[in-house]
Amino acid sequence: MSALVAGVTRRGYLLAALAAVLLLFAPQLGAGPFLVRQIMVAAVFGLVVIGLNLAWGYAGVLALGHVAVFACAAYATGIGAKAGLDGTVTLLVTLLAGFLIGLATSIPGLRLGGWSLAMVSFFLILLIPDLVRILGDVTGGTAGLSGIPQLTLFGTQVADATLYVVVVLAVVVWVALLRNITTSRHGAALLVLKQSPVLAGSLGMSAFRLKVTAVTVGALPAATAGWLFAYLDGFIAPESFGFGLAVTLLAISIVGGSQSFYGAVVAAFLVQVTMLRSSAFDQFALAVNGLVLVLFGILFADGIAGGVARLTAALLRRLPPAPHTGAAVGEVGEVPELPGLPLTVAGVGKTFGGNIALRGVDVRAEPGRVTALIGANGSGKTTLLNCVSGLYVPEQGRITLGATDLTPLGAARIARAGVARTFQTPSIPRRLTVREVVETARFARPYLPMWAAALRLPALRRRGREDRAEADLWLHHVGLSDVADERAESLPLGRRRLLEVARAAAARPSLLLLDEPASGLHEDEVHDLERVLGLLRAAGTTVVLVEHNFPMVLRVADRIHVLELGGLLASGTPHEVSTSERVAESYLGTSTPILAEDPA
Amino acid sequence: MVDRGADPKAGSMTSLYSGLAIGAVYALVAMGYNVVFLASGVFNFAQAQYVTLGGFVGAVAAGAHGAPMWVVVPAGAVLGGLAGALQERLTIRPIRGGDGGGHNELITTIGVAVLIEGLVLVFFGPDPLSVPFPGGAQPITLLGGTVLPVEIALVVVAVLVAAALALFLRRTSWGLAALACAEDRDAARLRGIDVRTVAVGAFALAGALGFAVGPLVASKTLAVFSLGTAVALKSFVALALGGFGSQAGALFGGFAIGLVEAATVRWLGTEFGLLAVFVLLLGVLLVRPNGMFGNAAGRPA
Repeated sequence: MSALVAGVTRRGYLLAALAAVLLLFAPQLGAGPFLVRQIMVAAVFGLVVIGLNLAWGYAGVLALGHVAVFACAAYATGIGAKAGLDGTVTLLVTLLAGFLIGLATSIPGLRLGGWSLAMVSFFLILLIPDLVRILGDVTGGTAGLSGIPQLTLFGTQVADATLYVVVVLAVVVWVALLRNITTSRHGAALLVLKQSPVLAGSLGMSAFRLKVTAVTVGALPAATAGWLFAYLDGFIAPESFGFGLAVTLLAISIVGGSQSFYGAVVAAFLVQVTMLRSSAFDQFALAVNGLVLVLFGILFADGIAGGVARLTAALLRRLPPAPHTGAAVGEVGEVPELPGLPLTVAGVGKTFGGNIALRGVDVRAEPGRVTALIGANGSGKTTLLNCVSGLYVPEQGRITLGATDLTPLGAARIARAGVARTFQTPSIPRRLTVREVVETARFARPYLPMWAAALRLPALRRRGREDRAEADLWLHHVGLSDVADERAESLPLGRRRLLEVARAAAARPSLLLLDEPASGLHEDEVHDLERVLGLLRAAGTTVVLVEHNFPMVLRVADRIHVLELGGLLASGTPHEVSTSERVAESYLGTSTPILAEDPA
Repeated sequence: MVDRGADPKAGSMTSLYSGLAIGAVYALVAMGYNVVFLASGVFNFAQAQYVTLGGFVGAVAAGAHGAPMWVVVPAGAVLGGLAGALQERLTIRPIRGGDGGGHNELITTIGVAVLIEGLVLVFFGPDPLSVPFPGGAQPITLLGGTVLPVEIALVVVAVLVAAALALFLRRTSWGLAALACAEDRDAARLRGIDVRTVAVGAFALAGALGFAVGPLVASKTLAVFSLGTAVALKSFVALALGGFGSQAGALFGGFAIGLVEAATVRWLGTEFGLLAVFVLLLGVLLVRPNGMFGNAAGRPA
């Protein structure tokens, strides 16, 4: 029994499938016409909210334009159906319209960002009644559009009982598709983007593209909802789509949890069935909606879904552990060839206000070599790294990787050109396992379209296997195999750094930038790191290392550049640098060379 | 929104006066947004609902019970200050610094706004109440149009409040602390500014402002539960147009929107008013994202 409970708890979709089947046969199980109608309306609202949740909960874009998409789709369907179009045609038209509206509103909308976007989309909703009045000839104006014929599919009229099945199936299909997206690489990418746009860029993810895609894809279930809504009563009116609807949908999203699609559907039923039970309630609906927004906004930011997730976690802790499915890390393959490209930094200058961080620095890093940048704090090492990886735009000079000019490119484009990096303060997203964190490095190399993830195409599975093998390979080499399935945020600092190195390596970079990877590492971990640097170097990639651990730099570097106050102080082999008096003066404040003798 | 100025048959000067008066309402709400936004970085959607509540205070105290305005306005301001402080303590502070990227705060302020609107609907019903204006209701003929005394008062009050707030922010230590918070909350904290107290103060000040101007606004628009929603978004546009954080900008933006709306309604028809404001908003945000009077510091992070 407990095994069954554990099995179902671990596989939430089984429970969801059971619920869907029950819902599908609700009329046969004794649900009366009133309840059936409530279920249909709730399903339609649920559809709009799951689209909203993809954009808001996952991509972090609070764009209520989905309500406008819903309204447009309902009107387009109503007008089309009255003109005698088949249901399949109106569905295609509304999906296309939803796609175009999503695309057209998200591109200027994302330029605004944040709550400006939220307000603009709110405004768009208030405009709906006016637009309906302006287009009164085709929309029926304030009086509404009546006489919409029953849904016909492929020329056959659909009975009420069948319409119910269509509505439930639409919800099932969209929840499954969106869930596929968010449990795939795209879900992980959206999670990274929401937590750290800087990290997302360094992994080659285009924030703009991801957000536009999420908003646009989210518009599709909203369009489907509008299509269904028009056939529900055969009548639509502008007041169905106003401010009140926007607030209700927002409340549904908050109550269900904005990062859950199941939660959206469940909350839609709760809100619809409880709130509209009696007409006396209408008077209180606004106040209750407001109260729900306030209370859930403060107390349960992750809604019903968050509560269920906490309960499940507590339940799983009491149940016997899952049977071990083989080794944590599979067969470790060979380290692949990583053909590096030479990096040329020519005369790069960068100022912050009046502060000169870099003054015309020239540095070259060769493939198959480890090039170290050292220097006192504030000498410009990290600034140089940030210029190369595209976080800063240099004011002078040129940065080229092989034949590619990196200077004008943004962080994501530079990452896709083959540059991977680690951060001085490790940037590890929450809510991912160690292995998943490494796999995020492979998101854009190459990019797999979102629809491939939604439909779970074989390409997705193949890429998944490749990603896993690559992640396991580098986790093995940095010594993190034992924690591959644990939450990455639980790792201590030293292991986070190694995780970042594994993530950067898994991107198969032509140029690898490491920002103080050894600081905070144990002795053993430093040895692991040195071994991995050796592997990467042997594989042929170009490695640029910023590091304060001088003995380690001497052991691993082929060439060392010393920076001082934003300029290049010295360059040379480890031996030359360690015996230079100028370097010692800058670094230690004494004129005694750091090493009097040859380190070898 | 009940807008007696939005009459398409009115003379053009009369439309213009009415547009300026409605614009003053938008500007007054926008200034309330500004105070809170500068000091705490939160966009308080419920600001316009404070004006609604102030309007109902006026309708009940002055309209139904005949209390004089010099009692109603200060009493309303005290109530508003309490309401604002309460909103900050209960619905903003507990969720500051969460990982919603400021969206959680937006949700609770929308929630408070909807809650206020809903409660007003429950207690006062959907029918508008009138608020008497002490200056009378006799129209004044001016430059070929007619203007109501309350309309003149609204414009004058908006200009005075903008000037007072600008002076207050530049000349008092509290105001400077609020500006420091707008620049960089963490840096302000390090300089010993109690950012929490500044935030409560800002909500209280904005609440007091909203309640205090409520009776005047409602003398023009009538006190109705849905007043806030209609005003809230256009006041946001006023702010976006003028530039976040600038009182002069709020004044300019408010008047500009009031005029555009009045002109559109006068010459194109009522259903085009909101659309014209929306087009104006999109245009300004795409061309000048910081608004006409805005600078980068006043923008959300």
